[in-house]
Amino acid sequence: MSISHRGIDRRQLMLATGAAGIAVAIGKSTSAQEASSGSVRVGVSEDGYRTDERANIGFFPLNTNIFESLVYLTPDYQIEPLLAESWEFVEPSTWRLKLREGVSFHDGTPFNAEAVKYTMDRIASNGGGVMGIGEESAVIVDDSTIEITPTYVNMRMMEQIGHPNNSILPPGLNPAESRNGTGPFREVEYVAADHYTVEANPEYWGESGAGVGEITFQFYADPTARLLALQAGDVDLIVDVPRQSASEVEAAGATLVSGPVGAYEAMYMNIHGVEPYDLGQDIAVREAVSIAIDRQQVIDSAWQGNAEPGTTMIPPAILGDSASLVSAPEFDPERAREVLEAAGWVEGEGGVREKDGRALNLTIINGYGTAADHGSVPELIQAQLGDIGIDLEIIQTPDTATYEQRLGLGEGDLWLEAGSQNDGNPAFLPELLFRSPEEGGEPEATAYGRAFATGEEFDTTITRSREATDIAEVQEAAAEAMNIVINEERVVTPLCGFYRIIGHTDAVASFDLHASGVNQRWTSLTLAE
Amino acid sequence: MAQSTTSAHAVASPFRGAATLADEWKPRRFTSLRGVVQDRSALVGLGILLLVTIAAVFAGVIAPYDPSELDPTANLSSPSSAHWLGTDNLGRDLFSRLVFGARWTLGAAGLAAAGIVLLGVTIGIIAGYFGGIVDDLLMRLVDVLLAFPSIVLALAIVGMLGPSLPNVLIGMVAVWWVDYARVVRGLTLKVVQNDYVLSAHCCGCGSGRMIWRHILPNVIPSVIVLATLELGSLMLAISGLSFLGLGAQPPTPEWGTMLSDGRLFFLNAPQLMMYPGIAITLVVLGCNLLGDGLRDALDPRQRKT
Amino acid sequence: MVQFVLRRLLYLVPVWIGISLVAFLLANLAPGDPARLALQRALGRQPTGAETAAAREQMGLNDSPPVQYLNWLGNALTGDLGLSYRTGKPVLESLVERFPTTLQIAGGGLLLAIAIAIPLGVLAAVYRRGPIDHLSRVVALLGASMPSYWVAYLLILLFSVRLGMLPVAGSQTWQHAVMPALTLGIGGSASLMRLTRSEMLETLGQDYIRTARAKGLHSRTLLVRHALRNTMIPISTVLGMRFAGMLGGAVIVETIFSWPGIGKLVVDAIFDRDYPMIQGFVIFMGTAFLLINLIVDIGYGLIDPRIRLARR
Repeated sequence: MSISHRGIDRRQLMLATGAAGIAVAIGKSTSAQEASSGSVRVGVSEDGYRTDERANIGFFPLNTNIFESLVYLTPDYQIEPLLAESWEFVEPSTWRLKLREGVSFHDGTPFNAEAVKYTMDRIASNGGGVMGIGEESAVIVDDSTIEITPTYVNMRMMEQIGHPNNSILPPGLNPAESRNGTGPFREVEYVAADHYTVEANPEYWGESGAGVGEITFQFYADPTARLLALQAGDVDLIVDVPRQSASEVEAAGATLVSGPVGAYEAMYMNIHGVEPYDLGQDIAVREAVSIAIDRQQVIDSAWQGNAEPGTTMIPPAILGDSASLVSAPEFDPERAREVLEAAGWVEGEGGVREKDGRALNLTIINGYGTAADHGSVPELIQAQLGDIGIDLEIIQTPDTATYEQRLGLGEGDLWLEAGSQNDGNPAFLPELLFRSPEEGGEPEATAYGRAFATGEEFDTTITRSREATDIAEVQEAAAEAMNIVINEERVVTPLCGFYRIIGHTDAVASFDLHASGVNQRWTSLTLAE
Repeated sequence: MAQSTTSAHAVASPFRGAATLADEWKPRRFTSLRGVVQDRSALVGLGILLLVTIAAVFAGVIAPYDPSELDPTANLSSPSSAHWLGTDNLGRDLFSRLVFGARWTLGAAGLAAAGIVLLGVTIGIIAGYFGGIVDDLLMRLVDVLLAFPSIVLALAIVGMLGPSLPNVLIGMVAVWWVDYARVVRGLTLKVVQNDYVLSAHCCGCGSGRMIWRHILPNVIPSVIVLATLELGSLMLAISGLSFLGLGAQPPTPEWGTMLSDGRLFFLNAPQLMMYPGIAITLVVLGCNLLGDGLRDALDPRQRKT
Repeated sequence: MVQFVLRRLLYLVPVWIGISLVAFLLANLAPGDPARLALQRALGRQPTGAETAAAREQMGLNDSPPVQYLNWLGNALTGDLGLSYRTGKPVLESLVERFPTTLQIAGGGLLLAIAIAIPLGVLAAVYRRGPIDHLSRVVALLGASMPSYWVAYLLILLFSVRLGMLPVAGSQTWQHAVMPALTLGIGGSASLMRLTRSEMLETLGQDYIRTARAKGLHSRTLLVRHALRNTMIPISTVLGMRFAGMLGGAVIVETIFSWPGIGKLVVDAIFDRDYPMIQGFVIFMGTAFLLINLIVDIGYGLIDPRIRLARR
């Protein structure tokens, strides 16, 4: 297993969406029998599709519309059969999958084990991904049965394999050149950086096919231009509405729709730093920080009310019933001051606390995914920590790469991140962030662990989550692990849960918003009469 | 010497076109500023710039609020007696931010202009005064840099160093000095050829003294005019890069950054986008008016027309 | 004439070498190990130390800087500017693909600027100190003083939201190009207008025009045939510069209007830390400008023999 693959995968997921939420029906839901006609124009953000051998087929809007994965991630983070009808784990480390029969790609090529093998081999040649797919992992048993044996014992493979980046391609297809999948929509035209047009696939195998005849995704890099396009009637629906300006959609005379939480914003503390970034080693400082944050104010001011208070760091839905086992420390500035006072941090010059002649100056690094993803949050945190006598310096890094580079050097106390959950594995993010680094690992690959790891208790709990067979057990152990880092060690302060926000005109009748943007299915989109 | 007269330089100043033709510039001293005083529009320009400079210097006194003071109870409020121009999404007072923003916007452009002038004058005088191979080499460098639209290289430098206001200023200085170097070199050549300078040289007047006493006073007026003419374009370029997110980063109340932040709220709080835009326009207008007037005062040929 | 062209071409060689040197050196400003970065982007994960070392060797980063430069120059001359970190495609291919798109709005902007500036400039000169002169001066100054990104949104509000005449952003039809070109044109028209006015005034003051007037030549004929024609040479000098300015201004305009040109390409590259693309952009634009200037120069040489002689 290589933990290093994960950071990148998470970044891709992050880039691919921006936010995520559980499905919420806007109006009536669609049935497959309805004739799919009419065309919808959708305003989306930047065209981020790569047209090389590492073509990111999971990238919105090329994902579930055209291609399909072996399993489908439901809006509440459960996996359901899609191209795979059933699966079983075979000791010691193999997954045997029974594939759906009678499905074909848009060009008529039959979908079968060969297609799955081609897809898995392609993943292997690109490094194997989170799942740990190797060159010999995929073995065809018969036309509709395949065995996949990852390079490590991966009990979470089926939760991971549903990610749209692992969508099934027909043998020999280079998705950089053409897109040909099994999905409910098929490609009409792709003009890079301008628009992408898909149409209903009349031969779709599934029950619920496209609800409209054609969708044109128009790329608007500038969020204000995107909103104006909705207002001017150039498009019928826009996605990726900036969280802080959701009310602009209503001001533009359109309907605002948001789904439940599928992404998170959280603040991590470097607990292994060296001077001057060593103040996080003091548990009193960590505790004080964790209860000095007024989440509601962050939501009301920075996000204009368009977020939920963060509790579990990752979207609670993925923890199932165990979500209630985790809670975030409550806002209590009075107690925060007492904690600092008791630890010897006393009021000094200019209201900044001091201990042994050292001022309580912290540095927050803002830049995962990008600094812009956090809006005005750093400034609010600065003000809130200022209230309890902590001086905070804000450093903005322009992008994830610079952020991770800086993290690798350990240069910072607090680290502000936002990301989205795009597969069904609850152990992934906590393990990536807090697992103790492997001995002799590459410094960059273990940057998170070297800053945030809390030790054996967490490591064994998260391993239990990763290796459990029963999903309820997986969720419970993940919840336990999160409690360790949130409430015991106070190494992470959950801030907000993010949901996706869209706006549409009266032309649109219904659209079910998925928690995760890359997992969005556009079949639910229908037009008004 | 082969000299490209069609300089391929990106400019926003309305008069830069004429300004970059090095031949137009003649050694001259400010003998009289009467022309400027008589030019009403130049006075208006000067007035605008003075006003904004005063606002920048005395921002602490003028602004009713701390520019970074949050007021969560007054998010995106409309203009009122408490907040003259309304507030932004964090409840910060827009007027106060604009006043403090003058420091950043003017300061950044001023700093860049100072760097550009210093570098341009130094290199121009060295090239013009010493001539020979030094001159050839420097002018080759100038030709190379002139071959790019200025924003191209500035962008590339910011791209390589990473987005930040200091990096934008570095990018600007590294590219924009070439115009000044060309003009100053030309002026220096003409001054050196003057009889009285030649005789001063013969009388054993040293290089340092020559440059200080004879060349600089003849060069500075033209440079000041050119700098005023270009200050506006410089400001537009810097705030433009900040708007793109490449320059000043939030929460800095730089006007381009404020406009960029404000555009997310332009339907509910149009003031967040309008006032920074008006502020930039006014200041750039001031620079252009003043620069125009100064040049007319310096160049009778232009005034005549 | 042939000699003139050859001389100009020969002069370009050292300048182009200078441009390539600037582009090469720029890449060294970027923080971090280029081999590591390239590998990380290509693999989609953090490379190991051994992989990085191998890549360094393969990319020739262990050679001395002059050798590195010569190798890079050799590749650049054959059109190989490396692969984009972001798209994995050859850098030159993307630049060549995007450049004409930018030329469209820059060219459109230039035409609009001319269409606005020259009539206004002529009128301002003819009715000097009259209301038209003052008004056009104010308009020109305002146009030059407004930030283009602000103008762009104001135009969208007017033409798309209020009037519903033009699409907000995109690039598929000619209507999509109108607002980006107009944004560039407004910024560019001011200097053209002022120059037209002052050149026109100068020409109108010349003896031969006065003589012609005295001879009773109709004033419109006079304006167009003689005065304007003589004004065109200095104006066309400035057109080249304005065009360059518009290509630069396209960086902001393309971002707002989602116009898939070279400016948008480089801004994306900057945010993605796509260093090969940034470097390629520099040498590409430098080369393009050199060629544009060459064409302009040759054009002058054809029009006006004095320039040929003067440039000796």
